Amino acid sequence: MAELGNDDRKMLDESPPVLGTWPRVYTFVLCYLAVVIAAFYAITVHFAP
Amino acid sequence: MTTIDWVVLFAWLIFLVSYGLWRGRGSGTVDQFLLAGKTMPWYAMGLSIMATQANAITFISTTAQGYVDGLRFVQFYFGLPIAMVILAATAVPIFHRAKVYTAYEYLEKRFDAKTRSLVSAIFLIQRGLGSGVAISAPAIVLSVVLGWPFRVTVLVMGGLVILYTASGGIKAVTWADVQQMGVIMGALVLALVIAISRLPADVSFMDAVRIAGAAGKLNVVEPRLDWNDRYNLWTGLIGATFLMLAYFGTDQSQVQRYLTGKSIGQSRLSLLFNAVAKVPMQFFILFIGAMVFVFFLFVQPPLLFHPGAMERVQHASEYTSLEQRHTLAFEQRGLAARHIKDARDKADRAAAIVEFRAAQARMSTVHSEAAKLTGENDTNYIFLSFVTHYLPRGIVGLVLGVIFTAAMSAISGEINSLATVSVIDIYRRHFRPEATDRQTVIASRAATVFWGLYAVAFAMLFGQGFGTLIEVVNQVGSYFYGTMLGVFVIAFFIKRVGANAVFSGALAGQAAVLAVAKFTSIAYLWYSAIGCLVVIAVAVPISYAEDKPRL
Repeated sequence: MAELGNDDRKMLDESPPVLGTWPRVYTFVLCYLAVVIAAFYAITVHFAP
Repeated sequence: MTTIDWVVLFAWLIFLVSYGLWRGRGSGTVDQFLLAGKTMPWYAMGLSIMATQANAITFISTTAQGYVDGLRFVQFYFGLPIAMVILAATAVPIFHRAKVYTAYEYLEKRFDAKTRSLVSAIFLIQRGLGSGVAISAPAIVLSVVLGWPFRVTVLVMGGLVILYTASGGIKAVTWADVQQMGVIMGALVLALVIAISRLPADVSFMDAVRIAGAAGKLNVVEPRLDWNDRYNLWTGLIGATFLMLAYFGTDQSQVQRYLTGKSIGQSRLSLLFNAVAKVPMQFFILFIGAMVFVFFLFVQPPLLFHPGAMERVQHASEYTSLEQRHTLAFEQRGLAARHIKDARDKADRAAAIVEFRAAQARMSTVHSEAAKLTGENDTNYIFLSFVTHYLPRGIVGLVLGVIFTAAMSAISGEINSLATVSVIDIYRRHFRPEATDRQTVIASRAATVFWGLYAVAFAMLFGQGFGTLIEVVNQVGSYFYGTMLGVFVIAFFIKRVGANAVFSGALAGQAAVLAVAKFTSIAYLWYSAIGCLVVIAVAVPISYAEDKPRL
């Protein structure tokens, strides 16, 4: 793999607009998915025939 | 369709194509034509990625899934946020750093030219077939609803797509998608509001939801694992994750969208935006289908939703008897739905559900008999029948126009990516490595026209016969994605595996998926996982065998 130039490093180091770091954003997205699935499951059980 | 509907429909078509042409101006270099000069903001990329999937099929078929099968199809999208996180963390920085036009260009940097060519060829075959389905499937439905000959519909659709895609490249495609997405969501919200507002005065929104639940339409999550069941929690979380990884990580029609980002961060945000928005959006669209089902519990639906089939069945000798049985079953089903709504306790509700199911079964029998007489599957006409009969004048034209351009949006993305791979991975790699920037742009425009005409020709050749459209499109992809994903997983994460080993693995993976599809009943959502794992399982031992010193 080619050496990283300054521009590449700048691109890689760019922070997300919220939550400070990308791993925190990823964790948020996965937790959000878990909450959505839990809510859907609750709907399924509540309205089941 | 009234005059005002036709005016609105054509005004929308003219606006969107003109807007695409205007936003696509200045695409005179390869970088501009294929990657929009890497200037795209995250929201444009994100909406464009979403619009490619929220295409005509979303309107026509996902709502029909909600009507017929309830909300369980949403589980198919559970793997999407997981895949987006993985891709944002891995593929996005790798592709950006490699400074490539196509995902397959990276494979030559990592392996060799034959691996790049093999995966490019798989993409061209798979996406080529997909582009045919993308144009023919909605054209069949729209031609019936608009009353146009099928070939005219295909030609208008294909011609307009070729015009703005060949002219403005990825920039035209992306910005047209952004407009499209806003109007799609507006039209869907309107359809839901009208379905609910037209319920009888004594049936509230919550009553409608409870009735939909009692009818088995709010079956969102199925936690039981069944390998042959297409949609459950596990096919969604595991099988669909592989499929989504393959689709967004290896399919040029998606990779090209986020390669247009001005930075890695912008590209990551476009994927994560989809990760957050897509599942609720699909839930919402399926929910509209479920609410249209409840609407038709109180307003008698036609015997068949397909207008042409309905006309034909009216000439059959069995028609009078079928229509009488249909009306009787509808009245009994509506009565049962009211009993569900008014149930005082659990026992009352259980009895009403039994009554409802019996009436529903009678309706389904009559419907099947009528459909059999005409040989038509009318599933894809349910939502359009609702739109054309119950939405206000002018809005009908707008919704049909949006469906028309939504089909165009999907096709434009596909022919743009097919042209990119044809030019970058085939033409410039194997035939004209010394081609100038200008020659490459001309070749890209010519390839766009070629693939557009190919899609049109495919659509002309393949008539009716598709089941639920969205499943056909996903199934075509599933046959090939596993192999492509396996190659990219090795490229990214298993550094010791070389070109020959991955090439053999890819051939084995493809053979395995085709064998599974032909000889087993395993649900198609597992194909990507199977293909990917076979590629790795074959390539890794071969790479070790290659390392052994020869005696």
